[in-house]
Formats: sequence, C-alpha cells, structure tokens
Amino acid sequence: MNLAEIFLVFLKIGCLAIGGAYASISIIENEVVHVSKWMSYEDFGNLLAIDELTPGPIMINCATFIGMTMSGFPGALAASIGCIVPACIVSTILILIYRKYRKLTVLDNIVFSLKAMALAMIISTLVNIIFRALFPGGTIALSNFDYLIAILAVASFVIISKIKVNPVFVMLGCGTIYTLFHLFILK
Amino acid sequence: MSRKDKLKRLWTLFFTSFITSLTANSGYAILSVLRTTYTKKHEWITEEEMTDIIALCQVSPGPIAINASVMLGYQCAGGLGSFLSVLGCVIPPIMIMVLVTIFYNVIVENKIVALFMRGMQAGVIAMLLDVVISLFVNIKNRKSIYLYVILIGSFLFLRLTDLSVFILLVIVLAAALVKTFIMRKKTGGNHESC
Repeated sequence: MNLAEIFLVFLKIGCLAIGGAYASISIIENEVVHVSKWMSYEDFGNLLAIDELTPGPIMINCATFIGMTMSGFPGALAASIGCIVPACIVSTILILIYRKYRKLTVLDNIVFSLKAMALAMIISTLVNIIFRALFPGGTIALSNFDYLIAILAVASFVIISKIKVNPVFVMLGCGTIYTLFHLFILK
Repeated sequence: MSRKDKLKRLWTLFFTSFITSLTANSGYAILSVLRTTYTKKHEWITEEEMTDIIALCQVSPGPIAINASVMLGYQCAGGLGSFLSVLGCVIPPIMIMVLVTIFYNVIVENKIVALFMRGMQAGVIAMLLDVVISLFVNIKNRKSIYLYVILIGSFLFLRLTDLSVFILLVIVLAAALVKTFIMRKKTGGNHESC
C-alpha cells in the first residue's frame, strides 16, 4: 500500500476528529471501514478492544495499528504522523493567539457544541458496532442473533456503570466466558 | 531562566509526556496527569491558564493528548518544549502498537483467539454505552435546548445523509458562533454560556 495514501487518509482523519477520542473512533470507522475499505467490521471491533487494553491516546493506537497492518513499520509511522500533524499546527496557532489575547469568551459555546456533535457521532458508531456484534456476518435475522453477546453486553454494562469495575477487566472477562462457553457448551 | 534550568525543564517535559502516555489510557486521563504535574508539582502553569488550555485542547482537532502536549510544552519552554513534549507522547503508543499488531496478525487466525476477541466485543459495547451516558449527562446538565438541537441534528445528519463530516463540523461551529453572538446581544456584552 502506498505510504502517501496512508498519510493523506490519516491527515484527513486528524483534521476532522474534533471532540475527543470517541469522536475520532467514529471518523476512523467512516474513513477506514466505509470509504477506503482497508478494514472489516470484525477487525475494527477487535481494534477497539485492543485500544482499551493498551495505553496511549486511542487515535494514535488506531493509526499505528492500521498503518502497520497496511504496510509495516513505515505505514505505522505515516499513519501516526498524519493524524497528529493537524493537531500540532492548530494547537500551536491557538496557543500563540491565547498568549496574545488571553480572552476565551467564545470558546465555551464551541466546546459544548462540539461535545454534543461528538456524542451524536459516538452514538452513531455504537449503533453500527451493536448490530455487527449481535448479528455476525451482517445478516439481520433471528437465526443469526448472538444471544451470548447480548447477555454479556447487558451484564458488562451493569458491572461497569453500577459497580464501577475497570472496563479492561470486564472485557477480559467477556472474552474468557465467551470462549469457554463456545468451546465446552455450544459445541 | 538559566541554561541549566531550561534544559531541566525540557527534559521534564519529555519525560512526563513519555511516562504518562505509557501508563494512561485515554486523552482525558493523560490530560489530568499532565495537569497535576505542571500546576501542582512544578507550578509552571497557573490553574487559570490550565482551565483555558483544557478548553483550547477540546476545540483543536486530533488527539487531546497531543494538543495538550503542544500547548503545555509551549507554555513551559517554548517551541522546543512543544516538540519534545509531543515526541514523548507519541513514542510509547507507536512502539507498543507496532508490537501488538505483529502479535495480533500472527494469532488472529487461531480459533480460540478469534472467539476471545469476539467475546470482548460485548465489553466494548458496554464501555461505549457507559461513555455515551456520561457524555449525555454532561450535556443534560447545561439545561440548554440548543445543545439537544445540535445533538439530534448531528445524529440525523450522520445517519440519513452521505455528506462529509466536514460539512457537519462547519455547521456546528457556525451554530456555536451565531449562538454566542445572539447571547452577547441579549446580555449586552456580558459573558455567558449555553
């Protein structure tokens, strides 16, 4: 895969991803899974799980993973640098303006408007992920419904939101239960 | 600032970014560690500046941790501080993910690994749902119909149209500016938010 192409796609992602990590997930989903078709939904879902298990900013993790899969270490660098270039340029401009004027009255409205937009984006991505997880392969039919994923997801949600257990452990637990169930009970 | 102090600052900026990026999981977690380090431990940045910088980080595109590194690095030690801080922030995730990807591509064909990864999707859904709810509570607390309009409008835009997110971004930013302008007129120039 052409390094310049990887760099440009991630440059675009880096420009569009405003509003935190979870908005960037939605942008990456759109650019990499739908537009460029570099990745299947299954791999994208796996990538999100891996991101949660590894440290570092989610966007850089995604970029490195995708770049690396596409064309090795140079690809990983092209993707990671692409996604941080817009951040570096805009942040530098903003901090210079801030040091000169020190007034941020407009900003509060922009921050919350972007938060509302980011929330819409993440809900939209979540809807896609839920469908893909509950109906493996993409056909929506009752015979294709993965009950075990549905039960585990509901149980995990209760555990994460009510008991405040670290999502990393919940995710590892889900993986373990699902694997054991399939290997020994659903044979 | 003497030359020695300056070098020490640059080293601290690089080292702090590096360690934080190696241990914290998301942009906001990284931001909160950087906040305590630079405002409480070293006192290089005041709390007030920090609050402003956090707001700026959220309107700048790209990873929040990178935005924070650029701005805090600049505030503490100028352009070179910015550069070293960003470098410290990107090296750990790139190195770790390169190793993880090599490992992933080798083991993903394995049946047990595939099942395990699939099971973890349930956890991913739960985690994202938790994020959605906390973001929603954050917006609900502002008690602003305007924000609901942005939220629902953006969602419909994303689901029903094939237009680029760029267009959505421009519309949302324009709406925020119009909203600010209208509020200014109403309150006679006093600062107030949505």
